[in-house]
Parts: sequence; structure tokens; C-alpha cells
Amino acid sequence: MMLEAFVDALHLAFSPEVILYVAIGVFMGVTLGAIPGLSGDMAIAILLPIVFFLEPAAALGLLTGIYKGGMFGGSISAISFGVPGTPGSAATAIDGYQAKLKGYPNKALNTALYSSVIGDTTSDFVLIFLALPLAIVALTFGPVEFFALYAFSLLLISALTKGKVAKGVAMAALGILLAMIGRDPIGGSLRLTFGIPELAGGLALIPVLVGIFAVSELIIQLAKAWMERARRIVDDTKQQAQSLLGDYDASKDKLSFAEFRATMRATWIGTTMGTLIGALPGAGSSLAAFISYGLAQRFSRKPDEFGKGSLEGVAAAEAGNSATSGSTLIPLFAFGIPGSATAALFGAAFILMGMTPGPSLINDHTEVIYALFLILIYANIINLGLSHFLLPLYSKIAMIKSRILLPIVCVLAILGTFAAGNSVIDVWVLLFAGLLGVVLRIYNFPLAPLILGFIVAPGAERALRQSLLIGRGEWTHLLSSPIALGLYAVAAIMIFTFTIVMRERK
Amino acid sequence: MFHITSKLKGSTAVIATATMVLAPVFASASPLGSDPIRLVIPFGPGGGSDITARVLSATAPEFCGPRIDVVSMSGAAGLEAVNFVRSAPANGHTLLVSDYGPVVTSGFVDEVDWSHDDWQPVMNFTEWLPTVYTRPDHDIQTIEDWVAAAESDPGSITFGHANPLGLVHLPLILFEMETGLENIHVPTSGGGETRSLIMGGHIDLGMTLPASIASEVASGELTALGVFSEERSAVLPDTPTFREAGYDVVLPAWLMVIATSDVPAETVEFLQDCFMEALASPTAVAMSDRVNAGIEPMNSEDSTALYQATVTSIEGILRNIGEID
Repeated sequence: MMLEAFVDALHLAFSPEVILYVAIGVFMGVTLGAIPGLSGDMAIAILLPIVFFLEPAAALGLLTGIYKGGMFGGSISAISFGVPGTPGSAATAIDGYQAKLKGYPNKALNTALYSSVIGDTTSDFVLIFLALPLAIVALTFGPVEFFALYAFSLLLISALTKGKVAKGVAMAALGILLAMIGRDPIGGSLRLTFGIPELAGGLALIPVLVGIFAVSELIIQLAKAWMERARRIVDDTKQQAQSLLGDYDASKDKLSFAEFRATMRATWIGTTMGTLIGALPGAGSSLAAFISYGLAQRFSRKPDEFGKGSLEGVAAAEAGNSATSGSTLIPLFAFGIPGSATAALFGAAFILMGMTPGPSLINDHTEVIYALFLILIYANIINLGLSHFLLPLYSKIAMIKSRILLPIVCVLAILGTFAAGNSVIDVWVLLFAGLLGVVLRIYNFPLAPLILGFIVAPGAERALRQSLLIGRGEWTHLLSSPIALGLYAVAAIMIFTFTIVMRERK
Repeated sequence: MFHITSKLKGSTAVIATATMVLAPVFASASPLGSDPIRLVIPFGPGGGSDITARVLSATAPEFCGPRIDVVSMSGAAGLEAVNFVRSAPANGHTLLVSDYGPVVTSGFVDEVDWSHDDWQPVMNFTEWLPTVYTRPDHDIQTIEDWVAAAESDPGSITFGHANPLGLVHLPLILFEMETGLENIHVPTSGGGETRSLIMGGHIDLGMTLPASIASEVASGELTALGVFSEERSAVLPDTPTFREAGYDVVLPAWLMVIATSDVPAETVEFLQDCFMEALASPTAVAMSDRVNAGIEPMNSEDSTALYQATVTSIEGILRNIGEID
């Protein structure tokens, strides 16, 4: 039965059509990821309705390719211009941009590519071999355990946001508040709709997600472009990049095997941390990248070079970032919990294809999921080959003038959101979420806890109220499960330890 | 700007001409225009209503004339779809495909500017039979076990269901009204969650539709206790009805194509005829079997009687539990 399913999955995953879609996805992902402000997530959000037109394996192949490509693509602009192309590559920019300024962008880019692929592949294997046992364990998760898990992830992400604990908690609370708009999940009464009937169904995830992350970025960049135009100031990053090309000696900028080997320790630190943190719902790739970067610095033989163009710094950050990609799907496969924005989009793709994310996913759709596993692995190889060949060309894409790029992207975002729900309200939500994102970015609020709060709140509220219904109104029922108690304990210990670590680092 | 407009006009003209040339010969006898028919579903894509509507959209154009699109509008808990159909021109080109929840129940409990008489059924696809089920190692394995357990310790049995006041919840309320039994109602996010909670031992019983548990019941992974219908379900032949067990609780959920009542009678009749003809075609029957839709079309007159009976019975239930006064 298992073997039969595996053979079927081989046929699915390695059909020429699916391989082509994976390659197209990787190409798109790297391209979009390399453009600051555009990410693989955004492309997946826009392309989500494609699941209606393609076979499941082909659609998942395309989305997987975009995801993996985008994960690495972000580091191209991080290294080339010091502008992280994606939130996850923010840590990569620290040493990557310094390395480029010193005259070896190609070494940094190749280090990023190799560490990214190593981290990603390892993480995929963890997903494949731990998701099945986890799926069996998953049934022991009832409302009590789920509430503990949601509370754990919310506490973790909001309290760990780069030292901005108060802002992190505030953003998580705002996310929860936004998610409470609409019908109460138990009693069915309307909340926070202010008499607007269209809000009865609540805010949809896709417009909030695309609005907060992408539209806000577009608005800010548009505003920047206008201001620069008015002042007639030439972009200095552009100038720097051009002046560098003037005396750039490509023959001296090749990654040697010795240099590659020297980064391996950092790569494995990033891979381990990325895989573990990726499996935690909501922890996310930028957190993994920063923690990996910090740990790699502590364990490095040359800690002083960090921040000055260290290839180890690039490797740790990029491996940490990419190693979340496979394991972030573990909570989705095992519990139906979207552990990240990307996992939420994959979850939406599954639902649109009539597959319910969660413990039964692998049993109910064995062939398609096995095919997805195979695609996850070989997409890394395609990413390695394609990116290696195209690296020199891609750094130029980030130079496309924003006055050409932005209008196209704006139209795509609005069309994509409208197509997802056939709802004009969603487009308004998209625009308002974009404006909210602008305000939050200006005042330096972290966006991740907001999105996590928004994604987790409905499930957390349902689990809490189901627990109280089953426990006949006794709050102590929430502590009746060893798993729940364990989760609360781990959350407390982690927050305590990390708060101390964060203080020390200052 | 003018340039763009003229270009657009040009392409519209080309499409219009092409449509006219390709238009089927019987279009002259049809009260419908050449615009596509939209079947609006008040749920997300991929569910039972969507899949059933797609069987119609794939087979009916040949019989009705224009193209048929399925449009999913799950916003505002389905009311966005209902309002969209309500405000569309009354020419039979915009139709609602829905169970009783967004039309009948919402008409009572939500603030809407229409009444139940503002709708007229075109046809009914099928009747879904709400089914109570549990895991096979649970103490409760039959309707009698359930009643006995609920009588010995009232309010101790947890019962999971999706959509509060929807088609997998109202039968439970009706059953409790008939028997005076009490259970703890645990709303879930959907059939998948209800099932995980039952299989994981977190709740006792749950309600679903036969097609979604038929294979598990056959393989012994789940036990179906009883069906709230007049007759047994075709896919659960060994599961008794509640009526067989002595409880006269019958609340099947229909899935109808519904038009607003200001659509001309001849248009409704035309749509009814061509839809039913399409669904009787071999292609439609094969498709229905493949997606397990269980389509058994019912004409407009019978559907209207069923619709009105549902309005009356649901009003009774909602009044009884204090949702309306």
C-alpha cells in the first residue's frame, strides 16, 4: 500500500509537466525574491487560484518552486544592495552587503546559495520523516492541547521579536483583535462589525496578508520614488553598485573549496536552528536567521569578522532562513496549524484543492503528498542549478525602475485578491491593510506578531471555548492535559532564557 | 484614452459577432439572453455545493444555451452571495445554489431586507441526510445507547458539529426537543475537525453527511449511529434512521437552485426543464457518481413545496429554542 503509493507519487512528481512547473516556479521565485518588496509569499498569494486550473502535483510543484526560489532570491538583493529582498534575508544583509562592498559579491552569493540549499534540503528530510509519526501523535491534540499550543506560539513570537517585547505583544493583540471582527465562532453573534453587514464574515486572510506585507511595501517605495524624483537625487546605492562594477575583478571573486568548508560550521548551526524554529508555529524565518547568525558568531573561530563581510555570517543567516522552509510545514501537516505565512498559503492551496490540512492529510491524499515530498527535495537541486547559472544576471533585475515595476505589481495584487474571494470588500480590506502596514512600518512595529495573531486567533478562541464547553465551564480543565502543561512550561522557560540572552547581547 | 476605448469596443464587437455566429439554433425559443448564467454559491470553493453546481455547469450549456459559470462568494457567512443574487437583474441569469442555511435560517436570524417569499426554487439537486457517528471503541454504538447514556447522566455527552444552527446542528436541536435529552454542543470549524476530535477521544459524538464517512464506516474505522431521514441513506445501507428507532425526527437538507421571485415564470420553467434534462444526461449521471454528489433532480413545483415546508419547520425549531420570538 505504502510502496504502491510511493510508485504513484514518483510518476506524479517526475512527470515532465510537473518538473517544468517546478523549474518555472524556482525561476519566478528567485526573480521575485531578488526584487526588494516582492517575495515568494506574495507570488504564491497571487497565484493561489492556479490550483483550480492545474493538477494538484503541478500546482504544488509551482508553488513549492516559487517558495524555495524566493527564499534564496531574497539574499541576492540583500547582498547586492543591502536591501533584504524578503523579511527572512534581513540577517543575510548584515555581512552579505559588507562582503559586496569589499569587492567579492560573487563569493557571498555563492555562499548564500550553498548554505540555503543545504539548510532547505535537511529541513525537507526532517519534514518527510518526522511528519508521519507526528501525524499519529496529532490525534492526541484536542481543544485543551491546541489552546496551549496556540498560546505557546503567540507568547513565543511576540516576546522574542528582536528585543521589542512590548511592541511584539501589542502587535499580536492587534492581530487577534482584527481576527475577532465578524461572527463569533460559538454563539454566532456579530462582533466589531460596526453595522457594516459585509464585515459579518470577518476579514479574509489573503487580503490582510497581502495588504500588510506587500501593499504597504509598495506604498512606501512609491512614496520614496516620488520624493527622490522631486529632489532630483540619484540613488546612492545605485551609484555605489555602478562604481563597484568599474574596478570589479571577477577573477579574484570566486568561492574556493577551502572558503566553502570554513563556512560549514555556520551552515550547520543555521540548519539546526532553522529546522527547529521553523517547526514552531509562528517563529518564522527571520527569527531563525537572526538566532542562527548570533549563535554562529559565538561559536566562530573568527567572531570579530562578523559584521564586516564574514562569509560565515552569510552562511549562518541564509541556512537559518532557508532551513525553516521544510519544517514550517510540519505543524500544517501534523496539526493543520499554519506555522508561517507561507504555510498558511500552502494550507489555503490544499483546501482549495479539497484537501484538509491536518493529521488526515497524508492518509487521505497519500500519493499527492508523497509527490509533494519528492518535489520538495528535487526543487532544491533545480534551485541550485538554475541559481548557479543565473546568479550574475539576477543582481541586475533589482535595478528595474520602480516606476515601471510598482504599477504592474499593484494591479496584480488587487486582481489576485479579488479573484480569491470574488469580493470587492476584500479589495478594500487589502488597501486598508496596506495603509495599516505603512503606519506600522514607519513606527517600526514588527509585522510578524500581527500576522501570527491574526492567523492563530480564530483557532485559539475556538479551542479555548471548546475546552470550556467540554470542561463544563471549569478553567482548570485547561490544565488537565500533560501535553498542555508541558507546552506552558516550555514557553515559560524559553521566554525566561531568551529574555536574559537578549539583555546580555545588548 | 479614446484610443483605448475604441480598441475595447472593437474587441467587444468581435466577441459579440463570434457569439452570435456560434449561438445555438434554439436560442430564439429561449427566454434567456446570450450572457452567461451565474450559479452563485454562498460557500467557499471545493465543498459539496460547489462540486454539485459544477456538474450542472459542465453539462447544462448544451441544453440551456448560454455558458454557465460557478461563482463562489463565501463572504459575510454567505449573505454576500445571497444579496448579490437578490440585487442582480431578474432575468434568470443569476441564480443561487444553496442549502437552507443561508436562505431559510439566515432569513430568520439575520438582519436582511428580504423575506422567504422573495425566493423561488428552480429545482432541487439532492437531499443530504444528516448522520450521527462516533468512533468504534466508544461505549455509545447505537441510538439506544445514546439515549440511555443521556438519560442516566444528562448534559454529559459532548456532541461536535460544524455551522451552528446549520444543517448538521439543527437536527440535534430537533432531536433534543423531541426527546427532552440534553447534550453539550461543541461547535467546530468543520467536518474535518469534528472527526479529529471524535477519533482522538476528545468528544463523544458528531454529525456529518453520509458521503464524507461512508468509506470509514465500511472499513470499521467509524460507527454511524443513525440518520435523520425518512429512509436509509444509499451509501450507509446498514445505518438505521432515527424514525426506525422510534424517534420521529426527520430533517434532511436540500441543495436547490434558487431564483428571486420576480424572475418571470416562463424563464424559471425554461431553466427547470433544461437543468433537469442536463442532469438526466449520461455525462451528468457519470459525473455525479464520480464526485459522490448523489444528484436526484426534483422539479420547481415539488422543490417549492419542500422549500415552504422547510421554512415552516425551521421557524418552529428556532422559535422553540428562543432564537426568534
